[in-house]
Amino acid sequence: MERFIQAAADIDVDEIMAAIRGRIQDRKDAGLLKQSDIDEIAAMELQPLPDFQEIPHIYEPVLYPGFTENLAPPAALEEANQEQGLLKELMKRVRRLLAPWTRFMNRPMYLELKTNILDLQKKVPIVLQSSEYIRLLHNAMHNLIVEASKLKTEEEILKTRMRILEDKIEFLENRQRALEKNSPAP
Amino acid sequence: MNVHQFLTSFSYGDAIGNEAMEIRDFLRSQRVASEIFTLHFHPRYAGQVRNYLEYDRFSAPGNTVIYHFSIGSPVTKRFLRLDDRKVIIYHNITPHHFFLDYHRILAKDCYRGRLELKSLAGQVDLALGDSEYNRRELQEAGFRATGVLPLVMDFSKFDQPVLPVFRRLFGDGRSNLLFIGRIIPNKKIEDVIRAFAAYQRHFDREARLFLVGEHRGFERYLSALQGLVAALGVRDVHFSGHVPLAEVVSYAKLAHLYLHLSEHEGFCAPVLECFHLGIPVVAFDAGAVAETMNGGGMLLSEKDPLRIAALCHEILTRPALKASLLAGQARALEKYRLRRTGGILLEHLRRLQP
Repeated sequence: MERFIQAAADIDVDEIMAAIRGRIQDRKDAGLLKQSDIDEIAAMELQPLPDFQEIPHIYEPVLYPGFTENLAPPAALEEANQEQGLLKELMKRVRRLLAPWTRFMNRPMYLELKTNILDLQKKVPIVLQSSEYIRLLHNAMHNLIVEASKLKTEEEILKTRMRILEDKIEFLENRQRALEKNSPAP
Repeated sequence: MNVHQFLTSFSYGDAIGNEAMEIRDFLRSQRVASEIFTLHFHPRYAGQVRNYLEYDRFSAPGNTVIYHFSIGSPVTKRFLRLDDRKVIIYHNITPHHFFLDYHRILAKDCYRGRLELKSLAGQVDLALGDSEYNRRELQEAGFRATGVLPLVMDFSKFDQPVLPVFRRLFGDGRSNLLFIGRIIPNKKIEDVIRAFAAYQRHFDREARLFLVGEHRGFERYLSALQGLVAALGVRDVHFSGHVPLAEVVSYAKLAHLYLHLSEHEGFCAPVLECFHLGIPVVAFDAGAVAETMNGGGMLLSEKDPLRIAALCHEILTRPALKASLLAGQARALEKYRLRRTGGILLEHLRRLQP
């Protein structure tokens, strides 16, 4: 048995280890401690309840076909042309010359587009949130149905048990009456 | 000099909140203006703390802001944008993998916290850890100016009697084993239960186990623990939930041994509290536990339920061994009694002065 404890210098750890070893061996020799007992305790795992978010949603594929596919990331922006050297410099100057005119021509369109995009961007979380909320509601409903079904089954079992108990009581009452009738008077 | 503090959460009975309060009171006693700014706070502290977004009114380049860092949160961003001198006190962040199966949000916050810690390196004037273990983590994360500010340990709060009801219920001479701390996965309560199961099965059938601590947010973990207790057929395991200090003291004073098998600790205050209360401590060597125990108590290097149970039995049945353990614990505690946390903080703050 390896030394598995540390303590202050004035405590004899080896002596404690020997005592622990002795105690365990004594119990094993007396048949009070079985290896299977020890293994059972050490091997017993925690079994947490399933996480709500991990419960598979059986209605999802039917109710929301392609929901997850539609949440694809936004498409990447196209990259600008990669001109090089003299051509690059030339294009830069041309663009700089035309910039005020281009800006003047595109400004109203740009502003309108930007406003629309901003409006849409504001709506995206609301739409996503609502769809998530509806999904959660469906999930909750699904779980409620499962629980209600379980309760119904339990109720049926309890009713049956009650009927059995009633029969038993009736039988015992009959038996008691029969015994009272046949027993001699005091 | 004004010294203010930032916190993510100010909970009731929480060690970080208590430390922030102690620091504020100490600074005020030194005539230093000091306020606490936080994101969340317990209703009983309303009026004593402020929302962290209010700090704009107090901010000035001559001020020093101390940020108690223990989890990822929006407070970090706000703290980084300040022009004031910045100090962090690192209380350690539990590795996120402990929470993956039980609390997704906390797992995410802990993961984010570790990333934020790296982002803080190089942007603060001083980084303090509440143990040498935490200071080393700061150094590894890239902080240059680091130091240790020991956690404020106020042992006087334990000087109160056992509640009569508790004495009646549990003070009947049966052995009581104790664990104090939140019921969260990194504390490995399942290992405590396994060791206790072996102890009750093979050494003392009448023993009890007190698991004293809050489990809010970890109901699934609690139910799994209760399932384990049922599956092992262990009796007399008491989950107290979050209880007032008077009840914690009652549980502790009626306990005969403290068993701590956590796998991650940045400091581990309950061990020192048990040292103070004269309860023999058996703890697993993880994180800052060995450093905090300072040579007192019994430190384990492995977790074999049967051997831990046998060790507990040795301690509880041999008065001489128990007495030498308690003497060692009392010696270990001296270091914490002598520490003047306020004075050490002031020395650190003076180092920051231009």
